[in-house]
Amino acid sequence: MVAFKLEAWTAVAPSLESKSDWQDWISDSFSMKDSTLNVDLKHIPMMLRRRFNALGKSAMGAIGLLNLDNQNIPCVFASQHGDTHLTLSLLEGIGRQDDMSPTGFSLAVHNAISGLYTIATKNESAVTAISAMRGHIASALFETLSQLQTSERVLCVIYDSQLPELYRPYSQSTDFPYAIAIVFSRERGDSLSFEYSPPLSSAERSTAYESELRAFVAFLLSDSGTFTCSNNGTAWTLKKQTQHVC
Amino acid sequence: MTALQNELKTMIIECLDLEDIDADDIDNEAPLFVDGLGLDSIDALEIGLALQKHYGIKLDSNSEETRAHFANVNALAKLVQSHRTL
Repeated sequence: MVAFKLEAWTAVAPSLESKSDWQDWISDSFSMKDSTLNVDLKHIPMMLRRRFNALGKSAMGAIGLLNLDNQNIPCVFASQHGDTHLTLSLLEGIGRQDDMSPTGFSLAVHNAISGLYTIATKNESAVTAISAMRGHIASALFETLSQLQTSERVLCVIYDSQLPELYRPYSQSTDFPYAIAIVFSRERGDSLSFEYSPPLSSAERSTAYESELRAFVAFLLSDSGTFTCSNNGTAWTLKKQTQHVC
Repeated sequence: MTALQNELKTMIIECLDLEDIDADDIDNEAPLFVDGLGLDSIDALEIGLALQKHYGIKLDSNSEETRAHFANVNALAKLVQSHRTL
């Protein structure tokens, strides 16, 4: 068993701006009223801000809400699909034999968003960009735990956006851009344990993959919840014990 | 010549997604890179591509001459004009 702490978390998506909005989302009593993303990006200099599209703006918006006192913090950025809208538009441009935009090309790598974030905040710590199809959140947790071996705190950002229509028959995605930003810590916050669990049946595994995001948000919102995730045939359970201030 | 300068400013604003900047905010003599407008090396490549698209100008990205052409809006305007009279 590995023990660590959940110091703080935030989550943003269009019309999902507070924890009670997310509570409505997990209980299915939520309807998206407005598809614009309301995020404050004042912590990112203007000349860098223009390089973020909806996916990057979600990630930066969620991190901004954490109000980190020290931005020099190791980071794990996990996005299943990455910026597929951008890569698809570049591929379409190649198909038309257009010259490729140098900016578009430079932003099409999976670590572009985390790279811009570290430039904006002058963060010189280790940064990992993860893209995992199944067991996406489990992979982000594994990477976070390994970073916590050498650091006091780790910023973990889980973010994605809706796939372009062309790709939708082949993979699932949320139908809106979202980002969850979490500070995991060795010492501060709610106690967490991460433990190897009995393997899931194949039906349970499918459910775990399909409802991973929903289950994880429910876990974050809970006082003492559990979150079971599956990764490469093994199952892992994250448990939370909220620290009540006396 | 002012019309050309304004045309170049609009081109720069559009190709670099400078949403919060108007053409009037860019001084013809102010440096485009680092100080002044504060553009970076990726922006330089993007402007090079835009000059090729709009005016058919091909530049060598490493030459000192290119650096001089990219100093400010007036220098870019001179480049475009000299290309037109060739």
